[in-house]
Amino acid sequence: MQDEVKFSIDEEQRDCYQEISNVAMGQAADLLARLLKVKVILPIPQVNLIEVNELRMALTGVHKDDSVSGVCQGFIGDGIAGEALLIFNDTSFSDISRLLNYQEAEVHSHELEFLMDIANILVGAFLHGFGEQLDVGFMQGHPSVLGQHVNLSELIQPNHYRWSKTLAVEISYQIDGYNINCDLLLLFTEDSIPVLNNKINYLLED
Amino acid sequence: MALSILICDDSSFARKQMARAVPAELDAEISYACNGEEALQAIEEGKGELLFLDLTMPVLDGFETLKVIRKNDINTMVIVVSGDIQPEAYQEVMANGALDFIKKPASKDKIREVLTKFGIL
Repeated sequence: MQDEVKFSIDEEQRDCYQEISNVAMGQAADLLARLLKVKVILPIPQVNLIEVNELRMALTGVHKDDSVSGVCQGFIGDGIAGEALLIFNDTSFSDISRLLNYQEAEVHSHELEFLMDIANILVGAFLHGFGEQLDVGFMQGHPSVLGQHVNLSELIQPNHYRWSKTLAVEISYQIDGYNINCDLLLLFTEDSIPVLNNKINYLLED
Repeated sequence: MALSILICDDSSFARKQMARAVPAELDAEISYACNGEEALQAIEEGKGELLFLDLTMPVLDGFETLKVIRKNDINTMVIVVSGDIQPEAYQEVMANGALDFIKKPASKDKIREVLTKFGIL
């Protein structure tokens, strides 16, 4: 019973996670907007406590049959750990080449580099903003490829994770005027949840 | 007479955070709204001489709310408080009649600075 409370979040906490993510997401988007000289359309971040095997269903920004490419990047700090996933719909790549003034062929050879770069920027900025508000310093690992041109079930394999529950923050970024969709997903480990909740409760106190 | 302040944000945490950042020396009566539609209603009821407006909200977002205020010449001073800190967002809200833009999370010092700038404090 006590464990159930420890590893759960109530509505007030969810709202707080959402607002903190909202601020962090805005900082990440600003960086991307300035770098690519575009306007990033910001969604309302989704915060959910889910079972890892529900992860594929939880992804709303990409569809299960679409061809996708993704990278992941671990992070850790002050007793909190997790993994960030950045997933691009493959239909985005032709517009990415338009945006970067690449030739179509060039994009394919630079796809991986682009994925890694964007992941580093978005994840780094998000974690910085998120951590700043919670007074946590995060360190991020190197990004690694989850898969290229595969479907979601090939990309996300629940047995990859050693924990069963996860606090998932999902942000679906879109770029104004371009057909570019990407999903940034922050997955916090089960053990991180009580630590995070403590920090959130501190913010919620008067 | 107390200044009527309206805090419009879809997040209850953000509303609370904003209310805490309003300087205590300001004689103010604070009301709340969860989206633009509620805010427009509250302004009509005389609860929003000063409006702290978020941008990303369901039902009616901050950008649209500003446009309605401008189009109907509604009498309220709008200060946008948002996590969307892209240059485009700033330009758009300033072009639509916002007095100023404060990035989230709003601090007491920043609010004081802005209110002083406009002679509210």
